Amino acid sequence: MSLPHPRVYAAESIDTPFGVFPLDRAAAVEFPSGLPGFEQCGRFVLLAPEELGPFSCLHAVEGPPASFLVVDPREVVPDYQVALSQTDLLRLGCHPGEPMILLSLVGFDEAGAPYANLRAPIAINPARMRGCQVLPHQSPHLLRYPLSIAPR
Amino acid sequence: MLVFTRKRDETIIIGNGIEVRVLRIGRDGVRIGVTAPPEVPVHRREVYDLIREENRRAADSAAPVHAARATRCGPTDGG
Repeated sequence: MSLPHPRVYAAESIDTPFGVFPLDRAAAVEFPSGLPGFEQCGRFVLLAPEELGPFSCLHAVEGPPASFLVVDPREVVPDYQVALSQTDLLRLGCHPGEPMILLSLVGFDEAGAPYANLRAPIAINPARMRGCQVLPHQSPHLLRYPLSIAPR
Repeated sequence: MLVFTRKRDETIIIGNGIEVRVLRIGRDGVRIGVTAPPEVPVHRREVYDLIREENRRAADSAAPVHAARATRCGPTDGG
């Protein structure tokens, strides 16, 4: 999942709030319904520069500008699990039990402390390069789970 | 907005295959059953709104952190 170093410029590059990265449009993940609040963002790239680890950046390459700091919820809560509905599986084009990339959006509270949205994670099916945000009807997970790790 | 009067067990049909049925009418609420094709997500409005607001907040609150970090590291100095 790690991408070439930002110093390696491609013909087409992508300008994010934290640096310029080569853009490989073939590596874009399709989000057929976008994300709630960003419904027109139909394609995203996942930028995972080493120095940002364990965080990465989910950056829209279609629709209005949108850039998110994300973290794998399993890095936050080791036994993290999310139930995917039949609708989610259809949207992702995958079968139950197939490996899935999970990402939680990271936000910052009024005091600047980071938290991760564990309740509504983003799921990406790497085999089909399709993603969606999972909105469970019921979830034991916090909408704002305080993070003990912060971006460097 | 289309407005209907429905009694218990009566339904409305939306498009091809979305059915909304009144299951029970109580004093404080109406219990509704939704039948939709599996590819159509159905959410409580307030759940969708909550996640939408959190998404917007995540985009807004992370950007300054990214920007501050970019200023420190510089996009081209090799981190």
